[in-house]
Amino acid sequence: MNHFLSAAGRRMLDRRAFLQFGGTGLSSIALAALLHEQRLLGAEPPIRPAIDPAQPYAPRKPHFPPKAKNVLMIFCSGALSHVDSFDYKPELVRLHDTPMPTAGGEKLVTFQGEQGNLIKPLWDFKPRGESGKMTSELLPMLGDLADEMCFIHSMTAKSNTHGPAETQMSTGFTLDGFPSIGAWVTYALGSECRDLPAFVAIPDPRGGPQIGPRQWQSAFLPAVFQGTPFNADKPIPNLFRPGTMSEDADRASREFLRMLNEEHLARHPGDTDLAARISAYELAAKMQLSAAKIADLADESAETLKLYGADDTQNSLKARFARNCILARRLVERGVRFVQLFNGAYAMGEGVGNWDGHKTIAKQYSVHGPILDQPVAGLLKDLKDRGLLADTLVAFVTEFGRMPTFQKGANGRDHNPSGFTVWLAGAGVKRAFSYGATDEFGYKAVENVATIYDLHATILRILGLDHTRLSFYNNGIERRLTDVHGHVIEPILT
Amino acid sequence: MAGHVLPRSRWAPIIVVGCVVGLTGIGASRARADATDFAGHIAPLLAAKCGACHGPHEAESGYRIDLREKAFAGGDSGTAGVVAGKPDESEIYVRITTSDKESRMPADGEPLTADEQTLVKDWIAAGAVWPDDLATLPESLLPKGEGKAEKGADHWAFQPVVRPPVPQQDAAGGSSNPIDAFIEAKLAEKELAFNPEADPRTLIRRVTYDLIGLPPTVEEIAAFENACRSAGGIEGPYRELINRLLASPHYGERWARHWLDVVRFAESHGFETNTARPNAWPYRDYCIAAFNDDKPFDQFVREQIAGDAFGVHPATGFLVGGPYDQVKSPDIVLTSNQRADELHDMVSTTASTFLGMTVGCARCHDHKFDPVPQTDYYRIKAVFEGVKHGERPIPNPKEDAERQQLIAAVEREIATANERLAEFRAAAQADGSPAPQRPQVSPHENVDAFPAVRARFLRFTVLATTGNSQPCIDELEVFATDGTNIARTATATASSTLPGHEIHKLEHVNDGRYGNGRSWISNERGTGWVQLAFKEPAEIHRIAWSRDRSSTPQFSDRVATRYEVAVSNDGTTWQPVASDKDRIPYGGNAVAAADFASLSPNERAEAESLTAQVAEAEKKLKQLKDVPKAYIGEFVQPGKTHRFFRGDPMAPREEIAPGSLTKLGSSWDLPGNAPEQERRKRLAEWIASADNPLTARAIANRLWHYHFGTGIVDTPSDLGVNGGAPSHPELLDWLAAELVAEGWHLKALHRLIVTSRTYRQSSAARPDALALDSGSRLLWRYPPRRLEAEPLRDSILAVSGALNPKMGGPGFDFFEPNTNYVKAYTTKTKFTDEDFRRMVYQSKPRSELDTFFGAFDCPDAGQVQPKRTVSTTPLQALNMLNGDFLLDQAARFAKRVQQEAGDDPANQVRRAVLLAFGREATPTEIEAGRGLVEKHGLPMLCRSLYNASEFITVY
Repeated sequence: MNHFLSAAGRRMLDRRAFLQFGGTGLSSIALAALLHEQRLLGAEPPIRPAIDPAQPYAPRKPHFPPKAKNVLMIFCSGALSHVDSFDYKPELVRLHDTPMPTAGGEKLVTFQGEQGNLIKPLWDFKPRGESGKMTSELLPMLGDLADEMCFIHSMTAKSNTHGPAETQMSTGFTLDGFPSIGAWVTYALGSECRDLPAFVAIPDPRGGPQIGPRQWQSAFLPAVFQGTPFNADKPIPNLFRPGTMSEDADRASREFLRMLNEEHLARHPGDTDLAARISAYELAAKMQLSAAKIADLADESAETLKLYGADDTQNSLKARFARNCILARRLVERGVRFVQLFNGAYAMGEGVGNWDGHKTIAKQYSVHGPILDQPVAGLLKDLKDRGLLADTLVAFVTEFGRMPTFQKGANGRDHNPSGFTVWLAGAGVKRAFSYGATDEFGYKAVENVATIYDLHATILRILGLDHTRLSFYNNGIERRLTDVHGHVIEPILT
Repeated sequence: MAGHVLPRSRWAPIIVVGCVVGLTGIGASRARADATDFAGHIAPLLAAKCGACHGPHEAESGYRIDLREKAFAGGDSGTAGVVAGKPDESEIYVRITTSDKESRMPADGEPLTADEQTLVKDWIAAGAVWPDDLATLPESLLPKGEGKAEKGADHWAFQPVVRPPVPQQDAAGGSSNPIDAFIEAKLAEKELAFNPEADPRTLIRRVTYDLIGLPPTVEEIAAFENACRSAGGIEGPYRELINRLLASPHYGERWARHWLDVVRFAESHGFETNTARPNAWPYRDYCIAAFNDDKPFDQFVREQIAGDAFGVHPATGFLVGGPYDQVKSPDIVLTSNQRADELHDMVSTTASTFLGMTVGCARCHDHKFDPVPQTDYYRIKAVFEGVKHGERPIPNPKEDAERQQLIAAVEREIATANERLAEFRAAAQADGSPAPQRPQVSPHENVDAFPAVRARFLRFTVLATTGNSQPCIDELEVFATDGTNIARTATATASSTLPGHEIHKLEHVNDGRYGNGRSWISNERGTGWVQLAFKEPAEIHRIAWSRDRSSTPQFSDRVATRYEVAVSNDGTTWQPVASDKDRIPYGGNAVAAADFASLSPNERAEAESLTAQVAEAEKKLKQLKDVPKAYIGEFVQPGKTHRFFRGDPMAPREEIAPGSLTKLGSSWDLPGNAPEQERRKRLAEWIASADNPLTARAIANRLWHYHFGTGIVDTPSDLGVNGGAPSHPELLDWLAAELVAEGWHLKALHRLIVTSRTYRQSSAARPDALALDSGSRLLWRYPPRRLEAEPLRDSILAVSGALNPKMGGPGFDFFEPNTNYVKAYTTKTKFTDEDFRRMVYQSKPRSELDTFFGAFDCPDAGQVQPKRTVSTTPLQALNMLNGDFLLDQAARFAKRVQQEAGDDPANQVRRAVLLAFGREATPTEIEAGRGLVEKHGLPMLCRSLYNASEFITVY
């Protein structure tokens, strides 16, 4: 078959007009035009993914040798409190229930209003692993894996509202309408897996996250790169023929369709979109088999189910989330480029199904902790045991942190974008390593302050991509995941 | 920078050898020159690198680089800027070399090169000689901000439109259409030629989709083919066809949809809650009507920016068509950023939509490519400073006057009845029986009527609240006997106001705006009062007040459950006029018990009839006051506008008055206190002027873009330096000139384009031409296209016969209804006739694509979308094969075929193919199709046809 341009490929390449019809790659004319344009953009021109026109999902080379091939992003929706989980602050114990000393004694006014006193961590911290890293009893099994983790304790976010902040963590921008990191990565790199979507989002069993599909949207990137949402409970929409249609009828109708399309193609020789459409239908057929298989956990051993807590009959939410974690591993195993696994849903309201503990944080986190802890710990262990961490970067993130104080008149912590913790694990990052720090209360990042741009730049670097050179022209601007910001956090890299 | 910014070109056949010029003009060779040469090397370097922020214009952190004494002394930090002989103690050197990116200078832009750093180090080490004659650096060395933005001023798109001569062609094709002459001239340069004319059937399908977004019916195709045959040519019948299509109301539906992409229109707020804007649709209807009426485009522009000044109110839906963050907080940083983002959306969308310019880039700094200084951005921002998101009634002077009269009459009726009722109540109570009671307090609206009384002051005192929290009142209205709400012009005072909350201020209590976002809260638990001083004493008889009277009330906390209303003429002696005492206690029985049992039968009958009359009149009053509102923005006289350093609202700088862009044609200024509407009106006139070099070019290019799939400039909302180079610059100017000459009528331009030979040629691919021009931008063929989501869905409906042609009004929803605080979007799986309207009438939520059509590159209105991407994905295939919508339509399509073709499977295949593709079925199709129908039923055939490439592609 000729290298027909798919429409997606054409959109990406056509503007630059550097593909010759039926050619095998760049023509000299086109290359000249490309170089000419690149030169205009300064010393470091964009490096555009050379997309195989027939297969937009085909694997593509990164800018330089990668440390990781794929990414598993675990997103705790609602803002997981760093001071109650991974950021150990003994001062909070010492100064428990006293006002936080602030510069000039100013009154702290945060998202929901005035702040009360400092409150010590609601779960005790203990040293873990060989490194002796202090983490809390909120997530004890994850804590036991602290030696695998590379903590960034000095994260900052641009917004103190969930929607914009989650949008920023997933797309780099606080505004709507920008491609998610998974879309950028699959635009750049395609996928190692030919019969599954290149970018899968796994919503929590309790429902979609804050701002829903915007977390995995392709925005102005072509729609082929949008994330496909499904989880262990809910398959890809419209994946299967309805029960009322027989397998024979389905097959016969598709066979007739194939005939129509081939006759049509014969009448329109050289029309590139038609070939792309035919191959999209072929890929859809393959996906029906492979996507069904991937979400069917029947072949997982009892030990595996136990490891993740998927066999927990006492806590069905935990068991369901554990099944999503197993699904995440299966996708990573199959070479899906970017998997975004959500913990927490927004439909249920503030703090009920997510980490937004404003009013009764101890009570709420007692529910959420066990749902998250064993399944993600099991996932991390399983990835390691199967050797998958060698190629996979795990990023455990949340949109911002929480205050070291309780809100005035409430038993919970308000939003805090000035300091929070994320951790990475696996390919490309140091083990048992901690980077950056918040002040003695965990209020503000003060040492090696890191931004979400920096985190994104670092993730791209580990995948072998230069964040300043991965761009897409939209509406007057070479758009990047990191806007005009971002510095790779070099000290955490292996 | 100016030296290396060249327009993009897709045609540049030569590799231009890199000639990057450094920002300062200091190359590596100079860096090795004599380090003590201050005038030659150091001064230009420091001035260029530091001068923009630390110079006469800016002086960030109190530091100046242009004045020797200040440069040495340092800025606000107190650290010495330069210590002669000691680079490591000189803040200036420390800051340009530090690895800490937070403190490294320059804060914007690239760090100094190693050579440049060495230059500075050597100069300091050598004693930091700074000669007296340069103690103040000359202006010429310093960046002026504007200086940067001068570049690009000679760019083609910023030059006046001059109608170019039409190229002389040998008219081989016999076309007299100037478009063809321009296109043919370019083709000739590449030794290319037009394809032959497409056949009539292809042509009617193409132009019908193009102009009205629907497929031609079987009958329309046959009629057109017959007409061509009997006329012995296509000319006449084709002209008639174009006339019919341009006159069709479906034309407006098709082209307004394009426009809605460009202006990021959606019917939800976006951001976290993304709740619906149920009254945003009048703007969509306005756009559809504007296209259908062939409203001159310059007027269309004026109305969208300042429609309220022209009596065309729904048009200003444009201004507030963007996202709006409903999540408010006492955090001032968040609040300021939210407002700055709203205005940014208006500034950048206005510029990109009408001018095809990315003015939004100048929010933080001078535009990097186009001649837009940062101050220009804030001039435009000042124009929109008084525009607020929200609904306002669509005024209708005649109806409004009648309505006011009716309202006054009903209010008088209620007052009279209440006065009489009060007497009965008193009488009933005097008898010792329990007093009849009024309804309990509602969080959403309460009315207290009392006998008319003359007053200068009115005080509303809260005595108890729900949960004993600080009381909240979003609006307090006081009605004079003539029906006017005199609270609006009164001065409010209060016992206290909760501090630190943008949304809870005393001035909100009588600002005419409902809802928590514009309310007053006292700073006392369970109590507090608010007082209104009227402009002059007036006869009043009624107040209305509420906790949350927004159209979708959310709040029922902080309600004043016990209160007293008193009036005064001197502000010291008070006369109580109403209270909660005659109401059912809050939380008590919901129904008022009107117990007039102790009165005489006659009196009782009258009292009960009066009670009923008041209830009826109040209902009527509510209806009368419920004027239709639309999400078309609210306008208030704004305060001052300031430039924000690096776009940060927390770093306001000098005041900026409203005005036009300054480097583009004639510019104008208004004073900083200019009336709100006047600002927008001036901007609208300026943009819509025939002298504006961009406006006509931008819209002519958009039309071309939608007709051919790619614009003459392939970046339709950026005609600036960084946008695409025009493939046919003369043609674009000719079209722009022609549009203006034709009175800005878009239909005239459409007609010109679709009757051209360029448009009417076949879309057949030719290997020789593809090799030279794979994107078909030179238009040696008509570029074939995949249908976008909307015409695809509309076509599925049209072919099945289900299409509901209902125009206008509120849209239909793709999603199940729900009323969560954060709206959840679940795609519908069951459909009614209302769901089968054209997709332009979908109540389109922002950033929330449905699973089915979202896979077809539908814009999500999170950002403007002047140009859609076109993907081909397996998810499209799965949706089209298995989606509920498709299978439901396939069944309807089958039913239609059955009715029209009878029971013979071969006839059914013929009919189905004709309906779906507009052509006769081939023998192979009939044979294979018959087998499919016989074995698996007609709906399976219909499913296949809907999925065929032929169905979704336009040639």
